[in-house]
Amino acid sequence: MEAHRPDRMSSPGKVEPTEIVARARAGDAEAWGELYRQYAGPIFRFCRRALPTREDAEDATMEIFMKLREKLIQYDQTRSFSAWLYKVAANHCWDMLRRRKIRQDKETDDLENVPLEHPDPNQLDRLIEQKTSEEVRHALDKLGARARMALVMRYYSDMSYDEIADALGVRRAFVGVVLLRARHELRQALGATGALAAGGAS
Amino acid sequence: MREIDHSLPGDTLEHLDEMTCMLYVERQLDRTRGQEISQHVQGCSQCRTLLRAMERESRLLTRAMLEEEEPLPSRLAQFQDRARRSMQWIWGVALGLAATGVYALYTSYVEPWQSQLDQAGFGGSNLLSLLIFQGAFWKGWQSVITLLEVLAILTLAGFGLAFFRRRSRRGSAFALVLAGFCVIAALVPPAASASVTRKGNFVEVKEDEHIKGDVFLFGERVRVNGTVDGDVFVFSTDATVSGHVTGDVIAFAQSLHVSGEIDGNIRSFNNNLTITGTVTRNLLIFDETLNLDSAGKVGGSVTSFTKSLNLDGNVGRDLLLFGEHIGIAGSVGGGIQARGRTLSISSGAQVHGPISFTGDEPPEVSSQARLASPVDFHRAEHKPRYTEGSVYVWQVIWAAAFILFGLVLFNLMPGFCREAVANAERYGASGGLGVLVLFGIPIAAIIACVTVVGLFIGVSTLFIWFECLHFAQIVVGTLVGQWLLGRTSHVWPLIGRMAVGIVVVRICTNIPFAGPWIKFFVIVWGFGAIALAVYRRLEPSSGAAAVVPSQPLMPPLPPTTTVGGAQLA
Repeated sequence: MEAHRPDRMSSPGKVEPTEIVARARAGDAEAWGELYRQYAGPIFRFCRRALPTREDAEDATMEIFMKLREKLIQYDQTRSFSAWLYKVAANHCWDMLRRRKIRQDKETDDLENVPLEHPDPNQLDRLIEQKTSEEVRHALDKLGARARMALVMRYYSDMSYDEIADALGVRRAFVGVVLLRARHELRQALGATGALAAGGAS
Repeated sequence: MREIDHSLPGDTLEHLDEMTCMLYVERQLDRTRGQEISQHVQGCSQCRTLLRAMERESRLLTRAMLEEEEPLPSRLAQFQDRARRSMQWIWGVALGLAATGVYALYTSYVEPWQSQLDQAGFGGSNLLSLLIFQGAFWKGWQSVITLLEVLAILTLAGFGLAFFRRRSRRGSAFALVLAGFCVIAALVPPAASASVTRKGNFVEVKEDEHIKGDVFLFGERVRVNGTVDGDVFVFSTDATVSGHVTGDVIAFAQSLHVSGEIDGNIRSFNNNLTITGTVTRNLLIFDETLNLDSAGKVGGSVTSFTKSLNLDGNVGRDLLLFGEHIGIAGSVGGGIQARGRTLSISSGAQVHGPISFTGDEPPEVSSQARLASPVDFHRAEHKPRYTEGSVYVWQVIWAAAFILFGLVLFNLMPGFCREAVANAERYGASGGLGVLVLFGIPIAAIIACVTVVGLFIGVSTLFIWFECLHFAQIVVGTLVGQWLLGRTSHVWPLIGRMAVGIVVVRICTNIPFAGPWIKFFVIVWGFGAIALAVYRRLEPSSGAAAVVPSQPLMPPLPPTTTVGGAQLA
């Protein structure tokens, strides 16, 4: 039943850039350039999805890589470099949004309506069937910062619930709630009405 | 609402709630729970459809996000190279201009002064070294180090620390500790000599007293009637030195009267200085009025920055005078170089060297005065400074110096600088706090200087305060640069914006009439931003508060609800 999760960072079968990372940590400028060439695109697209404007995404990408240069020494080489890099990127983007006070207070209020309902499966199925990727992307742009950030972390960079909780500064148990609320927001932005968008039929 | 009862077998479960479906799809439920759900959906078409729909929703989300592969913007594609190239350019220009500035400063000001002071009998020292390196902190160093050498050492130390910090990656704290160590090592005297300190309303070195070593005297009224075999440091409202001092007298007093015998120099920062005694060596005076009584005698030279100067006594060598009203009625063994509004040479005056005067009015010279040569008078020109080309050259040099200073700061304390720039956007808080610290810190530092223990702290604070006057302009310049070129929080792009912003700020602060006011507001504003950054660093819980939301994100769930495979309490 697990959703298909394509490899976002590299082509299939490509191994972690352990050696390049090790060289970059040692101060090898070439290795650093190689890391940048390999990961700048995916990280830019991550930022593009998570942040409101293209300019923000460009700024954030540069800042993430400069931050990476300082933090690379902290990277635990026994773990996945891509996962760690996405974590750095997510933290940075969320911090950026937080500093700009883009986070809306109402997002907190939304969580009070804990979605434990059973939406009409057929209605949801039809909605998903009708919508294109482009429509979903447009709808994503309309979401609140936390909702969009949570969806991007989960469905673009395949971050775990623990990592998402860490990045958003919420308890791990609330990540599911945040994600489900984000889906509801998305359905609403896609034009769903009534129970489907509000959290299900009663 | 359909709650899930965990105790029931799968085929008797009511419909799954959406949260459970999502967690199941995302494989966030534990194995047992997952098996229950699997069992349930085999017999429940509605839940099966919901699970399938949610899984399709996940795929659609993933697909939507991965599609539309935007090409990497050229700005990012060339980011590294451009950043490196642009910084090489800025470094080259800034260092080149700074080097030019230091050289020009030396040849334009320091060297001529040194030459003048040599002529005035100061034995090869320049004015700055007299001011700084022959003070208490520099005993033993004055013949070794010059100001330019120290500046060069500190600049190199700054760059070295920045480089070392990048290599070591141990954080700014380490760099700051080292920098602090360097500064302390530079300021602390190499060997503390035995010294005497006295404090009180009335402080006295009695007539029959003989003190060996330096004496520090703090009091409303200070009297030195005895003998001091060393230097005397006076901090007082009303001070009199009528005894014998074998070293120098360094005085910070409202009124100082020297009627005794000083074997060394007098360096004084007072309102009024009256000398009726003997000073064997030189005078260096920053006073409002200086009176050298007819009984007074200075064996060496006099360098004076005073509003009003009356010289009735004898001076063995040259005079270098800057003041509004200068009166000479005594004997001068050397020449006189004076700049001021008026110069009056009375009938009793004797001057054995050449006299040069630059002033607003021609000098009044008594026909009975005995002069080696007529007064060489130059009328002071008050043409607008904006018509002089050198002003603009100097502005460029100053801007480069600011950029250089900013580079060092941004490299040494990137985090702090970023915070200060960010705080500058809180206009109200920065402005208010800026006014407070701009005027409050010097007052507090001067108060601290009254005590011996606080002297070093006070002087250090004043030094930091003075540097912050420049740092404030850098902070505001960086913010202006961000307005023009867009925001960034990384160091090197920020430095680029700082360079642009500094140029803009320098231009604004040189606008006729409005410029000084703009400079004042810039300093207040930047000072406040720095103070806010310091405050936030010292605030114990600010870091945690910034990350963790203050409100709970979710109300308690019903006790039977599972989220992420775990039952919530």
